[in-house]
Amino acid sequence: MKQLALIGSPNSGKSLLFNRLTGLNQKVANFPGITVDMASGQSHSHSDWRFIDFPGVYSLTALSGEEQAAINGFTQLLERGELDLVVAIVDATRLDKGLGFALQALALCQRYQVAMVVAANMVDVLDRHQLSIDCIGLGTAIGVPVVSLSARNGHGITDLADAIEAALSSPPAPSAQPIADLIGGDAQGHWRAQQLAEQYGPKGDLLIVSQTRIDRVFLHSWLGGAAFFAIMYVMFQSIFTWAAPAMDAVESAIGWLASQVTPLLPAGFAQDFVSDALFGGIGAFLVFVPQIFVLTVVVGILEDSGYLARAAVICHRPLRLFGLTGKSFIPMLSGVACAIPGIYAARTIESPLRRRLTYMAVPLMPCSARLPVYALLIAAFIPAQSAFGGLVGWQGLAMFAIYMFGIIIALLVTALVSQRSDKQDDLPFVLEMPPYRLPSWRPLLRGAWERSALFITKAGQVIFTVTVVIWLLGYFPNYGSSLADSWLGQIGHFIEPLFAPLGLDWKYGVALITAFLAREVFVGTLAALYGIAAQGDEFVGLAERVANSGLSLGSGVALLVLFAIALQCVSTLAVLRRETGSWSLPAKLFVSYGLLAYALAWLAYQLTTVLGG
Amino acid sequence: MTLWQLSAGQRATVTALDTQLDSRYRQRIAELGFSVGASVRCMLRPGLGAPRQYAINNSVYSLDQQVAAAITCEPAA
Repeated sequence: MKQLALIGSPNSGKSLLFNRLTGLNQKVANFPGITVDMASGQSHSHSDWRFIDFPGVYSLTALSGEEQAAINGFTQLLERGELDLVVAIVDATRLDKGLGFALQALALCQRYQVAMVVAANMVDVLDRHQLSIDCIGLGTAIGVPVVSLSARNGHGITDLADAIEAALSSPPAPSAQPIADLIGGDAQGHWRAQQLAEQYGPKGDLLIVSQTRIDRVFLHSWLGGAAFFAIMYVMFQSIFTWAAPAMDAVESAIGWLASQVTPLLPAGFAQDFVSDALFGGIGAFLVFVPQIFVLTVVVGILEDSGYLARAAVICHRPLRLFGLTGKSFIPMLSGVACAIPGIYAARTIESPLRRRLTYMAVPLMPCSARLPVYALLIAAFIPAQSAFGGLVGWQGLAMFAIYMFGIIIALLVTALVSQRSDKQDDLPFVLEMPPYRLPSWRPLLRGAWERSALFITKAGQVIFTVTVVIWLLGYFPNYGSSLADSWLGQIGHFIEPLFAPLGLDWKYGVALITAFLAREVFVGTLAALYGIAAQGDEFVGLAERVANSGLSLGSGVALLVLFAIALQCVSTLAVLRRETGSWSLPAKLFVSYGLLAYALAWLAYQLTTVLGG
Repeated sequence: MTLWQLSAGQRATVTALDTQLDSRYRQRIAELGFSVGASVRCMLRPGLGAPRQYAINNSVYSLDQQVAAAITCEPAA
């Protein structure tokens, strides 16, 4: 198997080319530095080629942790002789930028006698402007083949495969050029890249005029802020409105399946188990998959279109007030889907101080694991009505409010910590503004599908196990005749005093304890506890049961607050430990967020109760 | 004059990078194209101290005051 590395600057279309070459769904985003882990995949056209996609870097001299990881990975593979060829991808519309790094990489490849091919991507954009690039001239000047292609429409991919095949069959001779001259402090290297770009690259302004016209709106002090809030609001409304038909379909399908399967089983334990534990517990979380899918697609559209980089600029000044940077916006927004990619994305922040503060903010972002809990409690307490001719749905508004609550708490925490921190290791803000582009739908939809599938498989295993255990503990020793006297009831009554100050009975106490494993288990546990009937409407059934269980509005609000702040996620703690290199930060965050969550939940309960909730 | 002081649409040539900037960071700025002799254009100057947009060749970068004020330039006539 031949190992081929794909390297290039951020925004050169590297991940899209990787998808095109391998068919794998690597995350493709129109934002600098979105690829945080190296992906590999087998070539479509040649089964003995394996492509490795390295995160985009501007230079061999790293600034951020992500760049360092990419450069270390690349040089290690070269040193070990594990690379057969390097494909350096450059953006043909901005040749000077990509060529600087490609020349540095070429020097390394020459040292280790590894062949290189330069792929000049985005020629579709050049074609639209009736411009071109002189691949033969550039190739002759730098001594390696240069192929023009478009990863977006597939033009030139076969030429790239031919060039790779030819380069693999004739490995380069060793270079006498001293490597140190070409790596680091290379103002000359950059000048050379610029000269080459001027000589062989497209002549003329390409995208700047149209880009600036759109930026005048999206980056305007007031218009840009208004557009930002409007886009974020539509995003949260879409979670409810666009996903609703799919959620209804999932519910109906589970209901139909349960009605077909349950009567086939003998009455008693088997029927109770399948009806309550299996269809009740699993159905209660499966119904949220459409919402996760829609959220991932909407975030993906924002990424691919280039808007996220603008959002980072819009957010920079406001975030600085809270000790963060505009670059914290991407990890925080990723955290809305899941804290884990959010924490990985924080690697792109060069300043160690701002990166640490971002680590603290991301676990407070309203992640998709919180979504089922929020959706359940909102469905239980907020009427499914709308106002202003259907423009504002109260449930969507409540969801927006609880999402904002988590974000506000995150900002207050980072502001407080930032004030007490040493600012010596801070770095200024420079961010590339990628051109606006139409999203590529196929990778986008596949990404959303994979995220949803991951939720089903990863969360599903935990939820299924916990649901079954909880159901069994609640069913025995009296075969479901009295939940309060079951084993689970006894455990619940033991821990009840801990949750009594929040107005929560033992059932919620049990659900909260199991949710420390993973937040979404809360819904499955409640579903098992309330023994939902298989037939009919699982999710609404559970929400109705919660509403009718005697849970006061105050306790409902306390639960929302508790879930918004507490760090109930084993995976997040593990990833934080990996990224920071010690248990210190995750342990501190787990304890402090837990205490803060409990204190604020108690306060919310007291306030809501006093106000008549 | 520094890049931060340029008005929207104004072109300038970079004359120096402040040595007070972290050396690795200075190198990165140069690698992005903000090296001595480079021609830069201020594209947008949003208010409220927000980062400003500068075009260099066919790329646009958003720079905050800390870095834009560290790049000295000579405005084009």
